[in-house]
Amino acid sequence: MSASVSLTDVAQAFPGRERARLALDGITLDIEPGQFVCVVGPSGCGKSTLLDLVAGHTRPARGAVSVDGAAVKGPGLDRVMVFQDHALFPWMSVADNVAFGLKNAGIPEAEREARVAKWLGKVGLTDAASLHPHQLSGGMRQRAALARAFAMKPQVLLMDEPFSALDAPSRDRLHVELQELWADTETTIIFVTHNVREAIALGDRVIVLSSGPGRIIGDVPVALNRPRVVESERVVALAHKVRGLLDEADQLGITTPREGGDSYVSI
Amino acid sequence: MSRSDVELTTEQSVQARSQAPWWKASAPILITGLVLVVVWAVLSLFVDTLPGPGDTAAELARMASDGELFSIFGRITLFMGVCFVIAAVGGVALGLLLGSKRWLDRGLSPYLAALQGMPTSMWIPVAAVVLGTSPWSLAAVVSIGAMPAIMLGTRSAVANVPPLLIRAGRTYGADGGTLLRHVVLPAALPGIMTGLELGWSIAFRCLVAGEIFSGALSGTGIGDVIDRSRETGDLTEMMATIMIVLAFTLIVDRLVFAKVQHRLRVSRGLVDTGLPH
Repeated sequence: MSASVSLTDVAQAFPGRERARLALDGITLDIEPGQFVCVVGPSGCGKSTLLDLVAGHTRPARGAVSVDGAAVKGPGLDRVMVFQDHALFPWMSVADNVAFGLKNAGIPEAEREARVAKWLGKVGLTDAASLHPHQLSGGMRQRAALARAFAMKPQVLLMDEPFSALDAPSRDRLHVELQELWADTETTIIFVTHNVREAIALGDRVIVLSSGPGRIIGDVPVALNRPRVVESERVVALAHKVRGLLDEADQLGITTPREGGDSYVSI
Repeated sequence: MSRSDVELTTEQSVQARSQAPWWKASAPILITGLVLVVVWAVLSLFVDTLPGPGDTAAELARMASDGELFSIFGRITLFMGVCFVIAAVGGVALGLLLGSKRWLDRGLSPYLAALQGMPTSMWIPVAAVVLGTSPWSLAAVVSIGAMPAIMLGTRSAVANVPPLLIRAGRTYGADGGTLLRHVVLPAALPGIMTGLELGWSIAFRCLVAGEIFSGALSGTGIGDVIDRSRETGDLTEMMATIMIVLAFTLIVDRLVFAKVQHRLRVSRGLVDTGLPH
């Protein structure tokens, strides 16, 4: 269950005080079914806008967005989004949160309960099913959000910096879990992050965006064995290459301290 | 002592700390009530026309023995219950409509704000002449009068729903009615409750204003008491009736509004359970 995603010469702009500001310009991108694609770029480069376009929350000012060959006209249950702030409904239990989308999809109760139980089990939240989001830790909340998304069996999973607000140990665990979940389902994933190493560790392919307006400045294939972790040497080495691309476009606003220098900090 | 014993006692003590006995929870309420009665007793010593707590209590006992107390209490509950349910259902429904239709909100909100700002009781003479001096006429004014506050409360609560939750709702297939019922309404509920409480107090004010305007308009019996006190100049029955109404509003606040507010806060994680209360 996966679909291809393709963007053709897409541009998107937002109205500003005096004139509209381009957020994305000339984005052409083809994603194969089942591919795990990470999008990195400096903040404000239109990464989230890219996801919104695929999700159908906004329409492009120019160009075309299509999923599985059909033009995107609005939000749909085939494309599900995982947000940076879990965005779980605070008045519902974890199980009800996971069941929410399934209920809207018209899935009968028996199957719904089975699917909720299955996915809560996969993310290790079976014991927390009846708890409310505020009773969970940050990592558990984001796990519940993952269960909510995967339970929908989406063709395309859109992830908007889902782990950036988490502590490092939770993030590392979720990186591995996400790769396992993806391997099980083979859904297409577009994962947006500002963390270059995270992108390399997770993606089959890393799209590098420049900012103001966002343009594709790099398309790096990642052929390392899975599951990968952010500390792995190969991941770090490839991350340097991607950082180099961003530096060339002077997208970080600073020159990255080089290896060997006193100010060198491993990213 | 085994390890499981220690854990059990720790859990028990935490549980006991979170569930204070009823007398501990209601002690502040009772003590404040007693202080107020003492203040009242002292005041009545200096003001001849003000009946003291003793006289009022005797009058309450008389009203209880001939059934007037329960009759007034029951009729207030019925009248306010019916009027408030109508106002709440209508107000919340229209408020949700205002919250979801921008043009409707632009057109109506200024007038609703004006209506909420002015005393609803000004409509009573109009209603009395147009609809007649029946309980129905006052019930109409009370129900409709409480609606603007509830509508505006609901509208602001809807406007304050975090956009992220709306997006999450849309992403997971909620649209139109489903989105309104399962996302917007529950997310806005704490704000809607505030509007409902405001509407409740406006409704009650309006009821008493109607009684002052003309005797037995609502059929609750408050108007008869006001008329009798006006003729005789004796305030004892009036004070007793005030006590009945006070008890009524206190019970409604404690058993309905405070309970619902607390439950809403707990289910949304707005009560810090990490601290002993």
